[in-house]
Amino acid sequence: MTPSDVTLAGISYRSYHVWQRNRDVFKRLWRAELVPPVIEPVFFILAMGLGLGAYVELEGKQDYIQFLVPGMLAIFPMFAAIGECLWGAFFRMNRQGTYHAIISTPVSVEDLTGGEILWGATRMAMSTVFILAIVAIFSPVYDLYRSPLILLVPFVALGAGITFSAVTLWYTAMAPSINSLNYFFTLFITPTFWFGGAFFPPDKLPEGIRVAAWFIPTTHLVNVYRGLVEGEPRWSHLGDLAWLAVVGAVFTYVTVAAMRRRLIT
Amino acid sequence: MSIIQARGLTKRFGALTAVDGIDFEVAEGELFGMLGPNGAGKSSTIRMIGCLSPPTAGELLVDGLDVRRRPREVKARLGVVPQDDNLDPDLTVLGNLVAYARYFDIPEREANARAREYLELFQLWERRGEIVDSLSGGMRRRLAVARALINNPRILILDEPTTGLDPQARHLVWQKIRVLKQRGVSMLLTTHYMDEAANLCDRLVIMHLGRILVEGTPADLIAEHAGRQVLELRLSGPERDDVLRRLQPVEGLRFEDVEGATYVFGIDGGAVSLISEIPHVGATALRPATLEDVFLRLTGRGLQE
Repeated sequence: MTPSDVTLAGISYRSYHVWQRNRDVFKRLWRAELVPPVIEPVFFILAMGLGLGAYVELEGKQDYIQFLVPGMLAIFPMFAAIGECLWGAFFRMNRQGTYHAIISTPVSVEDLTGGEILWGATRMAMSTVFILAIVAIFSPVYDLYRSPLILLVPFVALGAGITFSAVTLWYTAMAPSINSLNYFFTLFITPTFWFGGAFFPPDKLPEGIRVAAWFIPTTHLVNVYRGLVEGEPRWSHLGDLAWLAVVGAVFTYVTVAAMRRRLIT
Repeated sequence: MSIIQARGLTKRFGALTAVDGIDFEVAEGELFGMLGPNGAGKSSTIRMIGCLSPPTAGELLVDGLDVRRRPREVKARLGVVPQDDNLDPDLTVLGNLVAYARYFDIPEREANARAREYLELFQLWERRGEIVDSLSGGMRRRLAVARALINNPRILILDEPTTGLDPQARHLVWQKIRVLKQRGVSMLLTTHYMDEAANLCDRLVIMHLGRILVEGTPADLIAEHAGRQVLELRLSGPERDDVLRRLQPVEGLRFEDVEGATYVFGIDGGAVSLISEIPHVGATALRPATLEDVFLRLTGRGLQE
């Protein structure tokens, strides 16, 4: 075995070549995709933060718009990773033959899976930086940058992006048809969106829902982000990060298996 | 040493046997053909060579390497032009080659040099900045061949390289294949066009239902199984019986009824003059034998559905 053959779950450095392919495509197309990521968070701040926020009184000293920032930082970038690993991956896998072209080279199914997940994570981190920039615009008026720890958020996003990308790519590799992708929204994204702690603290939910919400990766990501944004990191946040890592690792393994079943016949 | 060696190669999908214990070898510098109708097992064989489908049984070596145990090294030595065009529609013509070269760990400078060389060879350099969807079918196929050459493969696998192309585009692809052959590139080509196989291949196998029926050079196969000329009769009733009665005594002739036509194989000088004396038989019924006739003769059916 030479150093170049070192692998983790069968994933080698060749994942980077898959990542490079996606980066090249992104460099060609990013201008066309720029408008929604700018507009949507701005609408969100205006409607939720200023509109709804005017009627919401929190128990602590926070304004609602301040409460929303960690949730925004988790939710919008999560959609970037999911989009890449759901629709994008589905087309590359089933319509364009891109995956078959790639695994006809020394790049293996494992490398391909690793590269796709890494790229999804990269999109999530990039989107996080973007949201941070938009939040910065509103910050002077509403005091949204309250701790320098907020600058660690994109790095956490890169790791959490692996988790979200792995879960999504697993679903895509299992999806029998393009219509079944819609179920991912119903089954994963909708509960993640509403119950992940982005809009309200989950403490007052009925106990069953609260327990279920604990398993949602977003819940833990929002926890960590709250600590960083408010400048109050806690030891329990290491537990949150550990849960994200466990989900990410498990789904990376099962995604590799699902991709093998799908692509090697 | 042979570049591809298959012994008892078998592929089963549940109850279906796609490839049924075939043996063949492709020698260095050779253009080896696999001819057969859809479902003959050609594409399954190609997928096994490309390490995209593990063999159910038998042995398959590429450049001496077992496809089961060393897929990465095998794939590094192959250039594959798949039947279903899987060029990257999200990238430009040049971007396709550059991205593909990276999958083979080819350094960027070298990749750019090779990309330019092959795009010029295949008359695509002028279109290098366009996205793939703006190319015609023939250009896409040429680009797929250029992409497959980017790693200087030990062997180029061409899976039905001209299926779906118009005649002009087919001839251009053929011309490029001949150029590669002159350069000494080893090639394995599958096709269900017998003229393509006869024109290009040094040696070929004819496959049917997962098995190899015969193997040889196109000329030898035609001479052995179909003879020099073939009589294609579209007669019925007493006229047909009359012709057959006259020809049956001639030694070396073989008869085959296929879908309303009667074929007489193995015709040479003597039989030709006899046939010219028979009424009802038009002059055009007699024609040179082709690989299609070999297939007809061996399977009792045509190559094309």
